[in-house]
Amino acid sequence: MFVAQAETAGVPRARLGGTLQNDILKEYQAQKEFVFPPRQSMRLVRDTVAFTANEMPRWHSISISGYHIREAGSTAAEELAFTLGNGFAYVELARQAGLPVDSFAPRLSFFFNAHIDFFEEIAKYRAARRIWARWMKERYGATNERSMQLRFHTQTAGVSLTAQQPEVNLIRTAIEALAGVLGGTQSLHTNSMDEALALPTEKAARLALRTQQVIAYETNVAHVADPLGGSHFVEALTDEMERRAEEIFARIDEMGRGSMLEGCITGIEENWFQGRIADSAYELERAFNRGERTIVGVNRFLEGNEEDNLDILKITNEDERKQRERLSGVKRERNEPAVLDALDRLAKDAVDPEVNLMPALIDASLAYATVGEMMNTMAGVFGRHVEVPTI
Amino acid sequence: MAALRVLVAKVGLDGHDRGVKVVARLLRDAGIEVIYTGLFQTPETVAAAAVDEDVDVIGLSMLSGAHMTLAPLVVQAVRARGADIPVVLGGIVPNQDVEELRAAGIAAVLGPGAPADEVVRTISTAARGEHRHQGV
Repeated sequence: MFVAQAETAGVPRARLGGTLQNDILKEYQAQKEFVFPPRQSMRLVRDTVAFTANEMPRWHSISISGYHIREAGSTAAEELAFTLGNGFAYVELARQAGLPVDSFAPRLSFFFNAHIDFFEEIAKYRAARRIWARWMKERYGATNERSMQLRFHTQTAGVSLTAQQPEVNLIRTAIEALAGVLGGTQSLHTNSMDEALALPTEKAARLALRTQQVIAYETNVAHVADPLGGSHFVEALTDEMERRAEEIFARIDEMGRGSMLEGCITGIEENWFQGRIADSAYELERAFNRGERTIVGVNRFLEGNEEDNLDILKITNEDERKQRERLSGVKRERNEPAVLDALDRLAKDAVDPEVNLMPALIDASLAYATVGEMMNTMAGVFGRHVEVPTI
Repeated sequence: MAALRVLVAKVGLDGHDRGVKVVARLLRDAGIEVIYTGLFQTPETVAAAAVDEDVDVIGLSMLSGAHMTLAPLVVQAVRARGADIPVVLGGIVPNQDVEELRAAGIAAVLGPGAPADEVVRTISTAARGEHRHQGV
């Protein structure tokens, strides 16, 4: 749709710069926004990586994301290892499709969480860079330095924020954001203080932005790279993170009999990742319930909880009605036979796993087929994924 | 006394399943029998499962912001089957919404950060019918 929109406006696809999240493995593991079964979804990821490597040199094809894994309950070490493990799986997927590693790896980027345990987070980012560089060079034979560089976006931890005394969330978010910056993040998302209540109000979103601006323009902390490198404590923690991640990689590699790609898919199909994340979430919950870990305003320092009265944003059904109207308008004005032809071609291309689906998807977008229509067409071929419910 | 049976459920397009799994485990550890529907259910499938499984309480987990629309539909779907199973709602639910939800027949609302003992107590109270018809 980006390509269709840009080319309709006269901008060639090769000039487009941007980032897709496009990380489907973590959907099955954590965020749960999947539609098709894992292997069919991985074909779509392969198609986007191959297409952008050939035709859109400035485009980032996957933002390999630990954020949602952590929010779903993993530990920091699991976030690190599952995310990089997924990254290795995508590298193996693209290599299987015949792409040389240095043709696509420089355009892979990452997305991590910034949780409240300050030094552990900084160690996590530092370990991620070390591991990625080593694996890309040694296991996957990258020779371009840019293939070995790990660049990442950071978002502060929504799950660390509380509905109780919500203004305190400003402080949590500032501390988490600082960990991201000291850990070397390339971009940053700070959550708003009303995260545990609703979508943000204008004021809460502005305060979240101001938090970043204080860090960026008042503190000078971003003037130096890796300011904690050489600290005895941070170096030891970084080593420890790396060691724990390597243990997990060994387990994934074993599940995949020497393939990280197969290991990740098998681990999903066998609920291994999902189970570990749920175990870690429960363990942390029990630590809070036993009072072994503190959340200010939730299990300690409750005075003031009764005064909570933040203005929050209300989303009404009116917004839904407007969007439905816009959609009907598009459907009335488009050339219906062209839409049906485009969806037909999409279905035909989907049947042959060797065909790259991107051209058919772009053509369908140019004909104003909707996302829903394209997804339903592909689901007709691929089927739909249903997660086996486990506690 | 037989152990309480609870159906924990997710309705609508809401993939946030950390909370529902944590609650399921802590209810189980408190000696309660727990059945989990899995993701992306409708009010009708939840009501049907609750009646088929003969549960004492439905625990609905919602973090999508759609609770004002979907939670009352679960209550209505249960009643449409001639059942009177209390529905307890948990998740991202602002205090401002609680009164209207109670009026729509939700037995109790557990907000973010509710401790384990409060979750177990609320479910047990709901099972005894003590929330019923309050606020209506």
